[in-house]
Amino acid sequence: MDYIVTGLFEAFGLLAGGDAGTYSAIATTLKTSTLSIMASLVIGIPLGFLLGYYSFLGKRQVRAVVDTLLAMPTVVVGLLVYAFISRRGPMGDWGLLFTIPGIALAQTVLITPIVISLTATAIEGLDRRLRMTLIALGAEARQIAVTSLIEAKHAVLIAAVAAYGRAISEVGISMMVGGNIKWHTRTITTAIALETGKGEFALGIALGIVLLLMAFLANSFLMALKRRS
Amino acid sequence: MIYNISGLKFRYSDTFSLDIEELVIEKGASLGFVGPNGCGKSTLLKILAFLIEPDEGVIHFDGEKVNGNGSAFKKDVTILLQEPYLLKRSVFENVAYGLRVRGEKRNLSEFVDRALRIVGLPTEKFARRHWFELSGGEAQRVALAARLILNPKVLILDEPTASVDQESAVLIKDAINHAKGEYGTSLVIASHDFLWLNSVTDDIERIHEGRIVGHEMGNIITGPWRRESDGLWKKTLSGGERISAVKPPREDAVAMLNPSDIMLSTERPEGISAQNVLKGSITQLAVENDSGKVLVTMNVAGLSLVSRVTEKAVRNLNLLPGGMVWVLFKASSLNWH
Repeated sequence: MDYIVTGLFEAFGLLAGGDAGTYSAIATTLKTSTLSIMASLVIGIPLGFLLGYYSFLGKRQVRAVVDTLLAMPTVVVGLLVYAFISRRGPMGDWGLLFTIPGIALAQTVLITPIVISLTATAIEGLDRRLRMTLIALGAEARQIAVTSLIEAKHAVLIAAVAAYGRAISEVGISMMVGGNIKWHTRTITTAIALETGKGEFALGIALGIVLLLMAFLANSFLMALKRRS
Repeated sequence: MIYNISGLKFRYSDTFSLDIEELVIEKGASLGFVGPNGCGKSTLLKILAFLIEPDEGVIHFDGEKVNGNGSAFKKDVTILLQEPYLLKRSVFENVAYGLRVRGEKRNLSEFVDRALRIVGLPTEKFARRHWFELSGGEAQRVALAARLILNPKVLILDEPTASVDQESAVLIKDAINHAKGEYGTSLVIASHDFLWLNSVTDDIERIHEGRIVGHEMGNIITGPWRRESDGLWKKTLSGGERISAVKPPREDAVAMLNPSDIMLSTERPEGISAQNVLKGSITQLAVENDSGKVLVTMNVAGLSLVSRVTEKAVRNLNLLPGGMVWVLFKASSLNWH
């Protein structure tokens, strides 16, 4: 028990003292997760809107595929992206393996289905009276679509927060695609896995605290949005 | 005329359809529709608002034939649905939305202010409120203001007073009368509130099972009718009371009963020719728009009946809501549809 308490104290020391290794992992996590969430929102929101708003042949099947991808294990995504961006893969020339953009790319693959699925659910869940009301007020098809998306904005933000939470907490992708290279691609989660394996609980706990704090902030934001919507 | 409709049909299912042979609504008129739930009122209003297309029939709107191009006329007609939806925005933005989508940006504040005042919501108090900070009646009036700001040729209202308090019902009435008087807006209103509807419309059409069955404040009595040994046909009400009629065309025929054909008495009459003598309780009293007579609404064993009597009769009989009354009418007063 003592080593946990000692580790906790040392962890605060590392954070308060501005330990370079700790803050490097935090910075890498923020960079990868920011890149991946931006890319997933740009891709996922329009696709989710199309999936939720329009009826088309095969819609249910597409929805089933997207929902299945929600449960995709991070190591499987890591494996697939690794295969594509490794030197022998079709994207090998891009030099993405063991880089921050490489991790962000794989995380985007992981979290885009979350954005698509939750956005589609948000659009499908809009009040049925909305469309009639907008037509009654004279809105054209494009204005109806835009207003519908704006009406669902809180739910779409919730999708973004949920996706961000998944990105910052995954470890398989960062480990496989990023390579856990110190000062370069080591993220909070890969650092925790490594340091715990080495018996360095202080650094693991310090990073764990930061991760929890980030998750807490994301969740607080989520709760505030839920209250508003 | 603003609408000229003929042969309109809209099918819901194999068993029920809306079937309007002919309907003419004059410009600047205010027409009411009454009828029980599921009779087709809301569907007819949505067709008139060009929200849905009929399966068959010809609609002329403002002199032009509407032929699958209802969207071309949508900006001239607006509808307030039974349960209005407010956008998740401020009251100001809700009211201004219709003008914004029309590309109007100038004097928005002025227009919103005017529309809110018409519905009795002072701008300074309500404009910045969010949609969730309104009562049911206020939300209904904001939704109405969002329609009035558009100065539509036709304003269609589906049960506008169904979920609002008495004060809001009066304010809604004043607001739509303002629109009619100021801008010549034609009004088409469906409501269960017979008396409120009577106070805001020039004419009332009755709809029953998808068809316009009468053009008066008639009472509707549905079958089944069973022939009795005395030669009359009877309908049994929930309390066991029976209504007598003369020769319905079929067992499930719908009877219309003119409110003027119903007499009222506070004591059970003896030795009269009317075959129908039923006990009821008064639920509402209201002055009829044009005639100045009083419409007395009664509950007779679950059946709502309206009688048209003179103000003098109301005073002499001391008719008051909640009071018991004998309802008298002849079997031959029932007209068949």
